Amino acid sequence: MNTTKKTLFAQAMEQHKGIIYKIVNSYCQNKDDRQDLAQEILTTMWLAYDNYNNAYKFSTWMYRISLNVAISYYRKDSRREDKANEECIVKIADLSQEDESNEVVKQLYEFIGQLDKLNKAIMLLYLESESYESIANSLGISKTNVATRISRIKHTLKLQFETRDS
Amino acid sequence: MHLDNFKSAWQQQSTDTHSAIEINQAKLAEIKINKQIKALDKMKWARIIESCVFLIIIVLLWKYIVAGFTFSAPIISAFILNLFAIIGLAGNIGQIVLISNIDYSKPVNQLQKDFYRVCSHKLELTKLLLMSVPFYLAYVFIGFDLLFGIDLYQYLELHMIWFYSLSSVLLFIATAWVFAKLNYKNISEKWINASVQFIVGKRLVTMAEFLNSSELIES
Repeated sequence: MNTTKKTLFAQAMEQHKGIIYKIVNSYCQNKDDRQDLAQEILTTMWLAYDNYNNAYKFSTWMYRISLNVAISYYRKDSRREDKANEECIVKIADLSQEDESNEVVKQLYEFIGQLDKLNKAIMLLYLESESYESIANSLGISKTNVATRISRIKHTLKLQFETRDS
Repeated sequence: MHLDNFKSAWQQQSTDTHSAIEINQAKLAEIKINKQIKALDKMKWARIIESCVFLIIIVLLWKYIVAGFTFSAPIISAFILNLFAIIGLAGNIGQIVLISNIDYSKPVNQLQKDFYRVCSHKLELTKLLLMSVPFYLAYVFIGFDLLFGIDLYQYLELHMIWFYSLSSVLLFIATAWVFAKLNYKNISEKWINASVQFIVGKRLVTMAEFLNSSELIES
């Protein structure tokens, strides 16, 4: 990869690194897993950047790769011990140590954590205000499927809040 | 509370969490391979080695066929086993191509299907072995010919031939049924879930469940 491309990647990544934060916190419950997944997402994007097509928005491309890595992420417990010897490319702050003021976001993470892998992806893209068509394209499913799932997610969320309030 | 009311708070997070994630760009630039790509490379090499084994089996069986070409049970058996070895080799070559074309920027469902096909290789091999079970006599005929130089078929009595033929037909029906059933679409059935987990592992079950759930509404 040439220097210009490296710089472009670094700039784009700095601008959109929040996506990685959102995905790892939505897909992993454990701090070690979050760190490991963030590293996998980042390195996969770096290695795939040569094939990045400018026709797509960087954030769309980044979401696709990140979701694909997160959904296929699988680590056996025994491999957790290797962590200490690994070089740290990315550091993620612990969600619990984040600013207490954003209680709404914490509740959202809690809710997303209960969803299955596909609904997590749909929810993440929906919260970014992506259209149903764009979500369907990114996930490779039909628009109807997206709409049905979003409506179910909304209903579940509403019920949860009603139960909590009462 | 409506989900749409959360959108602005969620999007605002991008600026709030900017300091929550630090990337070491210098170290990242040195990266040539990561765990996922390493695992795929490992799989590709395993498939290449398996392909070589299949190729050796095919060559040996052809040598055996050419050396004693007659219309006999051992030669027909060698043809049948050769067919299975060719299917195995073709499947392996397909896997190598599939692994080489893995693209993480593909739509999620498509890539997960590709991953499922890559990871279900062991399951496919098991299915291939399973499908060769009804032809178990092929192994016996070749074995007798190679070890003792005997064409066992010539010594079988008519009622034994009928017994073996009938058992092969019944086994064929049973294995074809299992073959068709061992598919991610049936992963919700307990015995299929348990079989896939036993043959390949929990990871494939998770992948199958994901694909199944993503297609549930589509159908």
